[in-house]
Amino acid sequence: MTPDNGGFATAAYIITAIVYLAYALSIKLRERRIREHLARLDASARPPSSRPTGA
Amino acid sequence: MTTASEPLTPPAPRHDLLLGAALLAVAGVYVRALMFTPIEARQGAAQKILYVHATSAIVGLYIAFGLMAVASLLYLWLKDAKLDRVAESSAEVGLCYTTVVLATGPLWGKTIWGAWWTWDARLTSTLFLWFIIVAYLLLRSAVEEPGRRARYAAVLGILASLLVPFIHLSVYLFRTLHPMPIVLKPSAPSMPSEMQLTFFSALLAFILLFAALLRARYRMATLRDLAAHREQEHG
Repeated sequence: MTPDNGGFATAAYIITAIVYLAYALSIKLRERRIREHLARLDASARPPSSRPTGA
Repeated sequence: MTTASEPLTPPAPRHDLLLGAALLAVAGVYVRALMFTPIEARQGAAQKILYVHATSAIVGLYIAFGLMAVASLLYLWLKDAKLDRVAESSAEVGLCYTTVVLATGPLWGKTIWGAWWTWDARLTSTLFLWFIIVAYLLLRSAVEEPGRRARYAAVLGILASLLVPFIHLSVYLFRTLHPMPIVLKPSAPSMPSEMQLTFFSALLAFILLFAALLRARYRMATLRDLAAHREQEHG
């Protein structure tokens, strides 16, 4: 007789989706943080004349 | 010399099409595996764990850690920072795949063996490799000087990858509860054709996902190195 253990398969598929999605999201978030850091570095390196003046 | 009009930082891609396509492919595999693939008579629906467990193991252990080893070897020879970034990215993505293997395996084991975990050669050596890759990534964050960091990591990466053939052969060398390979073996896969189709579709989808994650992780590493370079320039 075929055992009724579909819950284990469902749990495995949910865990797999969570791990891969969380990892993909972590890469995106880390990349965004580095881009923000780079933008700050670029802004501080720019000569004062090229900086936008206030309105 | 850079001027204010030149783009200083590579622009962020608006959409990561490769990642989107890979996630769609994996979603398609989920639908096929859970709804359109027959249930194995003796093991029940838990046998469907194969399509995420074994495929993640093939991609993580053989492709990701294989690439890490090749890139590390080439780095030691050519001393190209790009190769170090490939090795680092491949190791981290491979760790993600191995985490899935170690998380889904016990769910399958519980239904078939009646135990979540057993300290047999295949499971123990896979867990050991997982810890070595964690150590590899910790080593990378602990050494500041880029050349030394890349050299140490390359050596550890090559040594770690030597475990992969041992993990593959462990089911032949030792008496283990873990089953023999049903796909990666000299003879034809021992599965009905419908299950084979699902299995190989899942393998392709997870290879595509690996490529997308590797590309995104490599891009992130390139930006991080650029930021470190700028910090040095600015003192």
